[in-house]
Amino acid sequence: MDNLFVALFEILSFGAIVVLVVLGLGIIASMMGIFNFAQGEFVLLGAYVTYVVHSAGLPVWLGMLAAPFVVGALGFVLERSIVRRFYAAPIVAMLGTYALGLIIREIVRGLIGGLYLSVPEPLGGSVNIGTMHFATWRLVIVLITALVMIGSYLLLARTAFGLRIRASLENPALARASGISTSAIYGATFAFGAALAGLAGALIVPVFSLFADLGLRFLIQGFVAVMVGGIGSFAGPVAGAGVIGTLAAALPWVMPPVIADVLVFVLAIIFIKFRPQGLVSARGV
Amino acid sequence: MRRGKTCEAADRPMTDTTQTTTAKLSLGAHRSRRWQVLPLIEIVVLVTGLLLPFVLKDYLTIYATRVLILCLFALSFDLVWGYAGIMSFGQAVFFGTAGYGVALLARDLGVTSILLVLPAGLLIGFAFALLLGGFLLLGRHPSSVIFVSLGTLTGSYAADRVARGWYYLGGQNGIPSIPQMNLGSYDITEGPVYYYLVLGILLLVYLLCRFLVRSQFGLALAGLRENEQRIAFFGYQVQRIKAIIFSFAGAIAGLAGSLFAFHEGFVWPNMLGVVISTQVVLYVLFGGSGTLIGAVIGTIAIEAVSFWLSDSYQDIWPIILGMLLLLVILFRPAGLVSLVLSERERVGDFGRPPGKADRGSS
Repeated sequence: MDNLFVALFEILSFGAIVVLVVLGLGIIASMMGIFNFAQGEFVLLGAYVTYVVHSAGLPVWLGMLAAPFVVGALGFVLERSIVRRFYAAPIVAMLGTYALGLIIREIVRGLIGGLYLSVPEPLGGSVNIGTMHFATWRLVIVLITALVMIGSYLLLARTAFGLRIRASLENPALARASGISTSAIYGATFAFGAALAGLAGALIVPVFSLFADLGLRFLIQGFVAVMVGGIGSFAGPVAGAGVIGTLAAALPWVMPPVIADVLVFVLAIIFIKFRPQGLVSARGV
Repeated sequence: MRRGKTCEAADRPMTDTTQTTTAKLSLGAHRSRRWQVLPLIEIVVLVTGLLLPFVLKDYLTIYATRVLILCLFALSFDLVWGYAGIMSFGQAVFFGTAGYGVALLARDLGVTSILLVLPAGLLIGFAFALLLGGFLLLGRHPSSVIFVSLGTLTGSYAADRVARGWYYLGGQNGIPSIPQMNLGSYDITEGPVYYYLVLGILLLVYLLCRFLVRSQFGLALAGLRENEQRIAFFGYQVQRIKAIIFSFAGAIAGLAGSLFAFHEGFVWPNMLGVVISTQVVLYVLFGGSGTLIGAVIGTIAIEAVSFWLSDSYQDIWPIILGMLLLLVILFRPAGLVSLVLSERERVGDFGRPPGKADRGSS
């Protein structure tokens, strides 16, 4: 029984990480209709910022606080200068953002070398309930993910800014006619998506350690999750991330990890093939 | 951007495309009077390829052979993306599985005759492409471009993972020391002999592709690349055409993969993975997708610069590559060849159905 709870907790915390990565990807895909191939590298950058702050002798949590802002700002600059040219053409956007990601990844690789660098957890130890031990940091990740999800939902559903975002999502032409600057909204959304990825990177770096190809794995997983969940809504990518994250964490408990890893992708692709609109097909929040 | 048009095409007014069509038709009438650049480039590349082993040192000939094999591989990607508009982010699956296939043939069954292994590689590539392409492209729902690119990317990632974890395939290390390919009792070793073999195959495949994309079938391909919906309304089986060209390209990738496996003497999981898959995308985009020679030139250019920089600047080369790619996508979507090749000639004209008279200019 105890083992079951520990396993469930492992699955939950991994699912939370995937949700965090996918949320940004999903928001960008829903809003602008493009898949941001540099999203994995935004995760990497978030991790790198945390590492830099840590190695400068400052506390780790400060780095984690800074990461979303730094990555978000970079995302904003990239959107204004480059990514905005791609909106009309999803495939060109894929290739263009892939090139951006390649540049970021290789620069980071040059900066850290081919090393695996570890960053300590700001909160070590574990929480004990009865005979079960839960790593504190993983609990924190689950908690922050929940907060971010609630925050994003409230932002989209309850604020005037969220209304503008939803308006530009649903009908860009009409939104522009009503005096909403969709271009500014797109910039803000892209920055927000990038910031979420940065936050994800900052939170997971103590668990996965920092290496140049950190983002690549999350990128493919994130894409599949967004497609499974369905583009165009807030709930879709979150649901997809939940499913993919849970499967990816749960299957290795019952079968060899290599088969489990591949099986998740195969199942997801088959699912998308027969239900292209995804789990949640409605638009809106 | 050209791709931009493709995606918005459904919303565009009819007149726009009508103009393009008339422009294409009038091309035929002018073509005899125009001085053509494309054949000239092709001949220059071919002659350079023929003469290269005489001026290069031995180890460079071996490197050049590898580049030629990659050219063959790039051709296969150019066919699916540049001509049919199918974004295959997993072309390495066919390259790699064929490489692994012939490596297993050589290791376990001792089959190394060139007359058997190359067709085997071709078939393996074809079969896998038919399976993957059939699944992704055919079916009741027409697949979105995003789905196909994601599906192929995932396929490539999954194949890489399987190869890494499967002991029979050598796991992380792959299959080392594959015996040499032979013809009768003659071993085909790396060097000028292998070089000319690859060059011959490349030339053959190139001519075949050239014939294909300039035929009526090529016209249908170009049509569905530009506006899939309209071609479907004309009564073409769009999905089936896509699956055919995808499998054909898979066969070429398989041929390249088997040549690569015997040339290098070993196969390893990276051959299947995302890295090579995206590498080939870079080659073709850089050289110019939608022209066959663009794929060849792009491969040669990138590999040559990479070799040249490998001594001193190996670390920053990928960064430069990324920036070059970004610049090409932003400012030269038609690639390097578009610097010397006019848009007219790049689009080209197509074989006419037999028995129809020339319609003349509009």
